[in-house]
Amino acid sequence: MSTGLMKSPRGMDIEITTSCNLRCTYCSHFSGPGDVEEDLPLADWLLFFGELGRAAVMNVTLSGGEPFCRPDLRDILQGIIANRMRFSILSNGTLIDRDMARFLASTGRCNQVQVSIDGAIDITHDAFRGKGNFRRAIQGVRTLMEFRVPTTVRVTIHRRNVRELEAIARLLLEEIGLPSFSTNSASHMGLCRKNADQTQLTAAERSLAMETLLRLTDRYGERIGATAGPLAEGRMWLEMMEAGREGRQQMEGRGFLTGCSGPFQTLAVRADGVIIPCLQLGHMALGKINQANLVDTWQNHPELKRLRERSQIPLSSFPFCRDCPYAGYCTGNCPAVAYTITGEVNHPSPDACLRLFLEQGGRLPERAVSPRCGVSP
Amino acid sequence: MDDLSAKRTAANPSIVLREEFDNWAILFDPDTGNTFGLNPIGVLIWKHLDGRRTIGEIIDQIREEAENVSPDVASHVSEFISNVSRLGLVRNIEPQG
Repeated sequence: MSTGLMKSPRGMDIEITTSCNLRCTYCSHFSGPGDVEEDLPLADWLLFFGELGRAAVMNVTLSGGEPFCRPDLRDILQGIIANRMRFSILSNGTLIDRDMARFLASTGRCNQVQVSIDGAIDITHDAFRGKGNFRRAIQGVRTLMEFRVPTTVRVTIHRRNVRELEAIARLLLEEIGLPSFSTNSASHMGLCRKNADQTQLTAAERSLAMETLLRLTDRYGERIGATAGPLAEGRMWLEMMEAGREGRQQMEGRGFLTGCSGPFQTLAVRADGVIIPCLQLGHMALGKINQANLVDTWQNHPELKRLRERSQIPLSSFPFCRDCPYAGYCTGNCPAVAYTITGEVNHPSPDACLRLFLEQGGRLPERAVSPRCGVSP
Repeated sequence: MDDLSAKRTAANPSIVLREEFDNWAILFDPDTGNTFGLNPIGVLIWKHLDGRRTIGEIIDQIREEAENVSPDVASHVSEFISNVSRLGLVRNIEPQG
């Protein structure tokens, strides 16, 4: 009988270094258990990549810190390639030069390089990322594109750029000609927790971001995406409102802590080699690479099993959700944000609570849910 | 059928057999990122594509190893090998001598 669990993770998210040349005001790092002093040496990573290859892991995503800070990054990538895997890199884009772009293209194994761009002009981007970094990051994107490295951008929406989204979309999709970009928002993690007043959207600003992004997706379609942040929330909350209007008791797959399928697909590793379920759950140490057996950890670690079983916990069991008219339509959203706010992984995330958003004066765009969301206009 | 059953085929060594749920699997080509689904019989055949066994020997092996083998197993194996060959996932081994 099937357990519904794959024999090994399909992908690994690896924080290859804690070093970074920037200190962005809302970075999700630099204030948690995942922010370790030590970077593992190349030899340890290469040994681990051998184990990943034997476990038939397909994709490795490198992040940091800033992956391009590692002087041995090419050797690291060669190790991934030698073990029959593909790679992606999450970067601030400021250290990507022509030599590196040429190398990335030459591997033929790069799924994508994702560069963070948070403004249409330097003042906006640099406000939280440091002077001169808009120009450097845009140059990084253009260099990657020149060498035909698959390139995408992540826009983190915050209080300073929320009124610039239209211009950002125009810059990225029309002037630069990227195939697509994705969005999220500054969330309650890492440095952002200390700088929440400056960076995190108010309910009114979230409303504005949702309305703008939904309008932009009418124009650009799936070239603008999101798995978190105002666009994803706007789509989900509109569906939930629609379900309420239709008087449905529950939506399929909702009403429980089902907001994250990550523990069924991927594992992560901190820069010190500690295996964790997700880079945002850096405190949940599952073992150390090259010591713990990866497949055994994946299949049998009790913490991972508990994390996978959270999808059986009904939202109605939480005092936080008591009497909530949307509980039957809700997923509880991200366990990592739930943890940073409440101290509990097995708790709905207050940050993604529709009832709370409305109580704080937030409003949803006055529009029908697009057909893509499964509800007719 | 006789000619085909005497052929030897080897899996392309860069292709990854990723066994996922129960006896189902996917073949992953890291050079393209493409994946191809395999049913349990496909997995069994793939594991025998070592370039040493002939297709006829593989068919015999499947008859031995699998339960409830279809009477059409020979044509299923041939069709499978033809498909993976078309996708560039295997190479034919030239007879020696």
